[in-house]
Amino acid sequence: MNVSGILVIVPPDQVDAYCGQLDGVDGVDVHHTDPPSGRIVATIEGEDTDAEIATLRQVKAIPGVLLAEMVYHYVGEEATPDYAVSEPVPAKLRASQGEG
Amino acid sequence: MTTTRREFLKTNVAAATAATMGLPLSEEARSAAESSEAGWQWDKGVCRFCGTGCGIMIGSKNGRIMATKGDPKAPVNRGLNCIKGYFNAKIQYGKDRLTQPLMRMKDGQYDKNGDFTPVSWEQAFDEMERQFKRTLKEKGPTGVSIVGSGQYQVQEGYVSAKFMKAGIRSNNIDPNARHCMASAVGAFIQGFGIDEPAGNYDDIEHADAIVSWGANMAEQHPIMWSRVVDRRVENEDVRVVNITTFGNPSSQIADDEIVIKPNTDLALWNYIAREIVKRDAVDWDFVNKHCIFATGPYDIGYGMRPPGKYSFDKETDTLQKELEVTLTRAEAIAQRKDPDETHQIKQENRNSAGKHWRIDFEEFKRGLEPYDLDFVAELCKGDGDESLEAFKAKLKRLADLYIEPEKRITSFWTMGFNQHSRGVWVNEQAYMVHLLLGKYAQPGNSAFSNTGQPSACGTAREVGTFAHRLPADMVVMNPDHRARTEKLWKLPDQTLNPKVGSHLIKIMRELQEGDIKFVWTQVTNPFQSEDNANHWIKAAREGDNFIVCSDVYPTISAKVADLILPSSMIFEKWGAFGNAERRTQMWRQQVRAPGEARSDVWQVLEFAKRFKLKDVWGEQSVPGLTGDGFEEGKLPDVLAKAKEMGYSPDDNLYDVLFATQENRKFKWPDPVAEGHPNETVEALGEDWFVEKALFEEYAEFGRGHMHDLAPFDVYYRDEVRGMRWPVVQNDAGEWQETPWRFNAEYDPYVSEGKDFEFYGPALKAIPKGNLDQITDSEKTAEAGTAKIFFRPYAAPPERPDEEYDLWLCTGRVLEHWHTGTMTRRVPELHRAVPSAKIFMNPEDADARGLKRDDVVWIESRRGKVKARIETGGRNRMPRGYTFVPFFDEGVIINRVTLDMTDPISKEEDSKKCAIKVYPA
Repeated sequence: MNVSGILVIVPPDQVDAYCGQLDGVDGVDVHHTDPPSGRIVATIEGEDTDAEIATLRQVKAIPGVLLAEMVYHYVGEEATPDYAVSEPVPAKLRASQGEG
Repeated sequence: MTTTRREFLKTNVAAATAATMGLPLSEEARSAAESSEAGWQWDKGVCRFCGTGCGIMIGSKNGRIMATKGDPKAPVNRGLNCIKGYFNAKIQYGKDRLTQPLMRMKDGQYDKNGDFTPVSWEQAFDEMERQFKRTLKEKGPTGVSIVGSGQYQVQEGYVSAKFMKAGIRSNNIDPNARHCMASAVGAFIQGFGIDEPAGNYDDIEHADAIVSWGANMAEQHPIMWSRVVDRRVENEDVRVVNITTFGNPSSQIADDEIVIKPNTDLALWNYIAREIVKRDAVDWDFVNKHCIFATGPYDIGYGMRPPGKYSFDKETDTLQKELEVTLTRAEAIAQRKDPDETHQIKQENRNSAGKHWRIDFEEFKRGLEPYDLDFVAELCKGDGDESLEAFKAKLKRLADLYIEPEKRITSFWTMGFNQHSRGVWVNEQAYMVHLLLGKYAQPGNSAFSNTGQPSACGTAREVGTFAHRLPADMVVMNPDHRARTEKLWKLPDQTLNPKVGSHLIKIMRELQEGDIKFVWTQVTNPFQSEDNANHWIKAAREGDNFIVCSDVYPTISAKVADLILPSSMIFEKWGAFGNAERRTQMWRQQVRAPGEARSDVWQVLEFAKRFKLKDVWGEQSVPGLTGDGFEEGKLPDVLAKAKEMGYSPDDNLYDVLFATQENRKFKWPDPVAEGHPNETVEALGEDWFVEKALFEEYAEFGRGHMHDLAPFDVYYRDEVRGMRWPVVQNDAGEWQETPWRFNAEYDPYVSEGKDFEFYGPALKAIPKGNLDQITDSEKTAEAGTAKIFFRPYAAPPERPDEEYDLWLCTGRVLEHWHTGTMTRRVPELHRAVPSAKIFMNPEDADARGLKRDDVVWIESRRGKVKARIETGGRNRMPRGYTFVPFFDEGVIINRVTLDMTDPISKEEDSKKCAIKVYPA
């Protein structure tokens, strides 16, 4: 599971309407708003980062959204490979004569 | 993960995000966020990817990175991150990370045809030493080479350059940054006498108009573009124009999108300049005080290797144009020749492309005369489906935007200008327009070359990891520069080699031709990223060539190598980057490198221990070397002089060049580390602070020489988010950066009493002449001036014809970076753009009986690759144009591209060649 915090900026007088739209996007939850500046903080989650990127693209594509970018990315829970047991020679380099 | 746990995590991530961006938060939310980060250590870092230089904060616990976030205190990105920035932590954890040296072996011995086998560092260095010394003996210092990088952190570039130039006495070190911004450098040096821009990113917030030329900032520099978007959205009167050869995402907020043909940017600038002159809009006060006019030869070739033994049969017709070219009708008009005659032009100045001379304003004006709206519009219009009248109206609006006296205007460009067969010229033309209008070096009035790599400026350029450069803008050809460098490096006179080394594509060509037999690639993947790659991939695997590849993942360059050395990644070592706006930023080591991976600094220092002075400082043969006081073709024996300086012939290069008495005074551990590790020092088994000592040694070159950097520790202060050089101490003892150079209001180097001063010292003295030639060869200098160049339109040498009937342009896409070494390691990211596609116009596809998603061959005179067709998507291709990104090692598009370069800068033009597309 990947979770990231994003900042979305929309026209200040329409923050409420956009919050509704954002909550309607799969994987997006609105958490905080600052109506005077049109800023909304949301989280996006997805099975993998691909899903997250797709979701961010969906948010960016909402008409009238002025900006939507990543701010905070949580990585702590993800497994890191155990290098000690990984293949000593990566598959790509085995029995190869260097043909790209 | 349970729902409760996930909700808890999301709540905390949201609170942390809101806190980062300064949103009002309830006390409850704030304390929840804080408690979830209990025991974490946050430290500042810099993004690993493009040249923007965004600040990121790295949160770690027990030596593991737990989270990253945009740094709200970073003036560059103000808390935001683009998709790539967000992967800084993840890129370290790919499954196929290289963790031990691998060498091609058979029967327990190195064998060029053997299989990669794990070896110890000791074994790896033993073989590397044997191969290096064998080549050194056979070929001299010109037989060995290092291919470096604009992703080198500062100290890495510095040790590699010093090892090669001072130790081995070879200038064969050149970075991939050659193909990123060498053309920008050429224009800075020729025009201003000093490298790097006057302005900075803050120009965006001061500008009334922002024009993007040959760039796609929305995808390639998203955080800078978010500032452009903000500026446009918040100010109704601000205008944005996107000038490009095909529609790209940067057009979304543009008021005008101007689609032009390849290379016709040269004509478009001249149209704007002609309008400035015609409308009497020249800022004569500025121009008379601060500028002179200049021009140079047109017959300078295209940086191609003339046809010969190594050429493919099919590529010889293109290569022939290196020697002689027939002007197109438009070129004839643009170069003031009769368009109804045939002009076959021998490229007489292909080896003196950079020469230039002063002209007067009347001559300059005469050069611009052919570039009226009718001629330029017809030549430039790139979209066959756009009406000429609509296009002309756009060009006129563009000229109005530049000329309007009250409007502050900023021009940005990237690889469309720099990777250009006339890249130096087109950079100079941008300055031509800005200088004529007096709209340069002031907030909002800027002409700015974006860079593509995190330290193309800070390392490749400022440290000088090029075949001709030394630190702080000095060059190996200049005896005074060599003398100053020898003094600072404590080398005997005439240790440094005065002959320019081989630039990047020349290293590849010489590898094929047998003149270079040893290549060490560092922080780069040239066998995928060099144009016309079929030649070089084959050469790497031939004869007794020995290729060493230091990298973090198995790249194409690793696959074609003989020895692979596993490197540490960004936050597994200490480092410093310099971004595109002269901002130097540093970070501490955050986590430990996996397995046997070691920093690139350590690799060079360890290798240096294997060379004694007597191995390298005796007489050396360097074919073609000439220079005052040098015997032709030879570097002198300097061992006797070295002895007088207290060195022994048995001293090794590590002790002489790096672990000097001065450097050993910087002790490790150091309070600035605040408990962070330093594995470079640990692996050396030393007690001197390598990165700090080397930075301070390097910084001496620039201090008092217009490139001043602050002391090492200053960059690590909590409140500092990088500083833009020159950084000098003010009367109150504070370190002060320089946001705008050449402008007395901001720049301490401008002389008393002047408002502006272009004080760069290089190439100031030039002869005089007219548009066509030098008429008075006596060189005179006008101190403090910038040059306004006249440069004509010149067509690309290879253009679509009957057989190869489409243009091909290459570049990046948002989710991937360069050759994908790092971004393709994040499997999910990989899937977002699973393999490179060829973007083409639906009508072009239709005319070939093809449709979206069909698999096709993309073939040029040089090679072919397979890819799928994309007729929609993020780029809108005009008829006749195609685009293929270069990140995918399954679609090595550089097998297809043409290895022509700008003849002055030697930067490849990867943006234009002719191809055909047919079903696979």
